[in-house]
Amino acid sequence: MKITGTMINYYFVCHRKLWLHVHRLSFEEQHENVQLGKLLDQSSYTREKKQIMIDETVNIDFLQDWKIIHEVKKSKSMEESAEWQVRYYISYLRKKGIAVERGILDYPLLKKRKEILLNDEEEEKLKDILLDIEYISNQENAPATINKKWCKKCAFYEYCFS
Amino acid sequence: MYIILIYDISTEGSGARISRNVFKICKKYLTHVQKSVFEGELTQSKLKKLQIELSEFIRDDMDSVVVFNSTQRRWLKKDFWGMNEEEKTSTFF
Amino acid sequence: MVESYYLFSSGELKRKDNVVRMTAPDGRFKDIKIEMTRDIYLFGETSMNTKCLNFLSTNKIPMHLFNYYGYYTGSFYPKEVNISGNLLIRQVEHYTDETRRLIIAKEIIYSASYNIYRNVRYYHQRGKDLETQLDQLKALRKLISRAKNIQELMGIEGNIHQVYYTCWAIVVNQKIDFQKRVKRPPDNMINTLISFLNSLVYTSCLSEIYVSQLNPTISYLHSASDRRFSLSLDIAEIFKPILVDRLIFSLLNKKVISESDFDTESNFCYLKKNAQQKILKAYNERLEKTIKHRELKRHISYRHLMRLECYKLIKHLMNDKNYEGFKIWW
Repeated sequence: MKITGTMINYYFVCHRKLWLHVHRLSFEEQHENVQLGKLLDQSSYTREKKQIMIDETVNIDFLQDWKIIHEVKKSKSMEESAEWQVRYYISYLRKKGIAVERGILDYPLLKKRKEILLNDEEEEKLKDILLDIEYISNQENAPATINKKWCKKCAFYEYCFS
Repeated sequence: MYIILIYDISTEGSGARISRNVFKICKKYLTHVQKSVFEGELTQSKLKKLQIELSEFIRDDMDSVVVFNSTQRRWLKKDFWGMNEEEKTSTFF
Repeated sequence: MVESYYLFSSGELKRKDNVVRMTAPDGRFKDIKIEMTRDIYLFGETSMNTKCLNFLSTNKIPMHLFNYYGYYTGSFYPKEVNISGNLLIRQVEHYTDETRRLIIAKEIIYSASYNIYRNVRYYHQRGKDLETQLDQLKALRKLISRAKNIQELMGIEGNIHQVYYTCWAIVVNQKIDFQKRVKRPPDNMINTLISFLNSLVYTSCLSEIYVSQLNPTISYLHSASDRRFSLSLDIAEIFKPILVDRLIFSLLNKKVISESDFDTESNFCYLKKNAQQKILKAYNERLEKTIKHRELKRHISYRHLMRLECYKLIKHLMNDKNYEGFKIWW
């Protein structure tokens, strides 16, 4: 199974969202926040090389000198998931033999950035996460709704609660 | 939200070409109502998209685009002096 | 936020720069802003080329076609994006397995008949004596859960409509001659109105199905061979009482529409062009009307309720949550 950065991200946000995404039930297309985020990606690094797709699996916003991975986010609301998304990219590229030093989370709207590193312990945890994602994806049915405060802003909200 | 967009493109340099492009881009999103005036309903993301598309052409030192926005169309009172051009923004034809 | 365009004028539909332009023979034109368009309705005699159709397809804009008399003739349904193979398999499974198909079909009739019941009750509470019909409807609705197959269910549905239609002459303040539904061609004012509005609801549902991930050709109440996009018939069934019937009652009772809006020589089969426009305006306004959704705690338009109906159906098919059809809750 090909695991994408989005899947890592969704894993930390909501297992149900992850399952639906894996089963190609997506609602991002019509959702305002998601569309705004997408536009932010496109407009953030105009001059630099951006959005590289590797193995049709990981889609990196911007790779600086093949050493620093940049991931653009709109807000800090889901920071943990974004951090793990970047760690996954670091690990993925290192396995390809690319000597990635670190990752950076960019918040152009907040004019902030955060450095992300990947240590051995985190590398181990990542392995567990990947296994867990496989496990959730292979479930026959979608996991239950989680009813968190961020549900309301999620592209899947109307699907989950209608 | 309901948008009224007006622009002024300087004729200097490649002004004519820029003006043509700005016009074409605006028409994808809004209704053309007067010479360089557009209006219509837009979402946040579409407005952003429009802005990004226009920024490729607008020269910051000589062209200007002004965007008025009203959260709701009905909060914007509209009168016609002279010709009534209500049908321009209608989706019936 | 996006809009539907209703083009009555005849002429040429063409891609012009980055928009689609409808040009009338007299040179007047209408530009359709493709970024903000949901769908396009064509009522006039229009010519167009593949360049225009390809452009609409790229922008995911369906187009619904009507002939001169306002009869729906078909839709241009752009290539679907975002297909879920998994969902399609489940859609088919629920169709081929008679037991599972019946569960969905019953819920559709159960919801549609509830909305019918509410229409009758509404007018009963406003002074029309419809006591008998209300009792009959209640009794008939009880039979739905016991139906053993689709044919039996369709029979019950037929009976419900028979009772329902006896209310119409009482509800409508204009003198109408209406006892039963006659289609192709309709034979009186009411049948003509129903046919016209039914086709509108069908197309609105289709446009909503298009943005959902459902395949429009697999249906549950209607047989998949009824029409090309039979799922749209299924979903429309639930919304017809509120979008078609209630609108007809109000148009007639407010005298917005009367005999003079029909072509009398054709035995009231045809709505005049300006009457079609009047109805469409009223229909479009009705679709934009919003109500507060209790679970979502948001204002939702009648049109958006159709989208939610697709979501609920998907959840049922994905074995996530049992389908409960839309029933008027206010």
